[in-house]
Amino acid sequence: MTEFSIRKVWIIAKREYLERVRTHSFILSTFATPLLMASFLILPAMIGASTARGIVRDSERPARIVIACDNRALAELARGELIRQRGARYEPSVVSPASPAEHEQLDRRLDAGDIEGYVWLDGPALASRRVVFATARTGDFLLQRRLGDALSYAFAAQRMVKQGSSAGDVAATLQPVDLTAVRGGETFSVYNAVRGAAVVLILMFVMLFSLLSYGVMVMRSVMEEKSSRITEVLLCAASAQELMTGKILGTGSVGLTQIAIWLTMAAFGVSRSLYLRTAIEVLGVGPSLIVYFVIFYILGYLLYSAIFAGVGAIFNSIDEAQQWTFVVILPLIAASGMILPVATSSDSPLSVLVSLFPFCSPILMFERLAVHDPPLWQLALSLLLLVATIGVVMFISGRIYRTGILMYGKRPTIRELSRWLRHA
Amino acid sequence: MTPTVELLRVRKSYGGFTAVDDLSFEIPPAHIFGLLGPNGAGKTSTIRMMIGIIAPDSGCVRIFGEPFRRRVLRRVGYLPEERGLYRRMTVGDNLIFLGRLAGLSVATSRERIGAWARRLEIADWIDRRVEELSKGMQQKIQFIAALLHDPGLIVMDEPFAGLDPVNTMQLKDVLVGLRTAGKSILFSTHRMDQVERLCDSICLIDRGKSVLQGSLSEIKAGNGRRFVQIDYEGDGGCLCGHPLIDSLNDYGNHAEIRLKPGADPQELLRTAAAGLRVIRFQVMDPSLEQIFIDRIAGTDD
Repeated sequence: MTEFSIRKVWIIAKREYLERVRTHSFILSTFATPLLMASFLILPAMIGASTARGIVRDSERPARIVIACDNRALAELARGELIRQRGARYEPSVVSPASPAEHEQLDRRLDAGDIEGYVWLDGPALASRRVVFATARTGDFLLQRRLGDALSYAFAAQRMVKQGSSAGDVAATLQPVDLTAVRGGETFSVYNAVRGAAVVLILMFVMLFSLLSYGVMVMRSVMEEKSSRITEVLLCAASAQELMTGKILGTGSVGLTQIAIWLTMAAFGVSRSLYLRTAIEVLGVGPSLIVYFVIFYILGYLLYSAIFAGVGAIFNSIDEAQQWTFVVILPLIAASGMILPVATSSDSPLSVLVSLFPFCSPILMFERLAVHDPPLWQLALSLLLLVATIGVVMFISGRIYRTGILMYGKRPTIRELSRWLRHA
Repeated sequence: MTPTVELLRVRKSYGGFTAVDDLSFEIPPAHIFGLLGPNGAGKTSTIRMMIGIIAPDSGCVRIFGEPFRRRVLRRVGYLPEERGLYRRMTVGDNLIFLGRLAGLSVATSRERIGAWARRLEIADWIDRRVEELSKGMQQKIQFIAALLHDPGLIVMDEPFAGLDPVNTMQLKDVLVGLRTAGKSILFSTHRMDQVERLCDSICLIDRGKSVLQGSLSEIKAGNGRRFVQIDYEGDGGCLCGHPLIDSLNDYGNHAEIRLKPGADPQELLRTAAAGLRVIRFQVMDPSLEQIFIDRIAGTDD
């Protein structure tokens, strides 16, 4: 059983590869997924860009905001600031004074949809600076932030005017700071950082789903060969080791092909779209990140496909394997739950720990690499642990596979499994 | 001449269940060997030990005169009981894949596939997907797959299952041709009538044990010419209770008779001719099935 023929592994892998690449589902998922991703990434960006350039679309009416205020001067200052804000398209108006009758009137107009919201600035509100913004657009965080900024500006400007500053002084004093985040010579802006997170997020989900779907594909393929008894014919010509290796490599190459196609499409998109190019530059999704992505993808795939090959050999049908499949993918689910915590505090002990844990590290160490350079030793340790775990899992899975693919009918007990491990 | 296959006191058990128990047999070159037995007798386990899919607990399997090693499988063709083909691939792709795995080049595979396909009249199906084929058709493809690399030993688990009479005849012809070419063939079946005219020798197994083995003619001779069929006109009642007859099935003008051990059929013929108008009197070889049933019934007691 010791002979191991690369030629046979190659023949097996090639068959596996060609059969999978030719399926409709492969072609569909390869070309539909980027469209979905694009709608995820590009559409909001396009909307954002058109807003920034001040392109008005008929379907999109500017938000009508009423500033109801006892102090007309203050209200006018806020209104002016709101109009001036970069990329904003609002139609603010002022009502003064803020009388109870006016309040009712504004509520009615809001209900009727005549206005998108109003700010209520009566005496107590002016004194405490606790301002209520009644609006139908509670989800428009940008509007709320800009309104808050405009009001703060108005309060400060009015005080300065009272103290005798000229209009020019006021403008110069209150000019907002333009903050730019920089990492390793690359520039980040707040807006782009959000979009950058989206790109990293997309990469991680691609990794997650790809690991999952190609792992399960290995499992199904093992089961199919087992239940159709093809395995018996194959075992006359090749060893179990060659079969499993060929299967894992062949299916994995399909996954890599898909990812290569996606990266090519993305590169093409980047070369054609100024927006994407800036986003990519701004994000720091450089070639090194792509290399990390591919490395962690390959290692993660080897780990999970080896487990799935073993699971496939144990069971006779997908139904039987269902609950165990869930156990296998549990670490991946946990990892997807850790994506946000790791993004916000990438160097916390928990983040470090989960990014070293081999069953999660393909996703989470990659994420840490993307959002923040982790210390080199952590990267090295994570890779080392991952490779070592792959070795152990391959060994165990190989033994289970070797015995399992010829066992039909009853599913084995844990005791039988451990016997397979020891004796095979 | 070195036997192609030697099984020496082979034993295999799964947990508490003994599938194959102390089984020995030999298959000489240019020989068709039938491994017979009812369902669950241990045929498939025996076959799997011959091709190294499972290892015997004790005993030894020698192929081409050497203890079993995986390397020897290059000279063995195997046809499993169920169809081991990729359903979504075409017949041709399946066969080329298996040919390549068996060590052939693509060109050689193609050439041989073409030759076999013409011989088995399936050339039109080469570009079809396996799932479009009938079971019998798939069985033929599987058959070709087992023979592509021109093995010296061909091992087949229930090769005739699911085949119609025409295809069965076709495959039997091929097997006889292979024997003439010096190949050894072992096949298992639980349909004993299928092997009577094909096998040179057999091994009957039941519950893992060899019940009967040897060359077919020896076995039949050893089990005596005890069966007689008579076609007659007249009253068959005169045969009843005859001292030579062990059992009698009388159908009115046709009777099937089993004689007692040592009884002379000639004596029965004289009795019958005296009382009846005999149209046909035939002394039969026992059918394998009959022998098998007798043996199994014997071991049950």
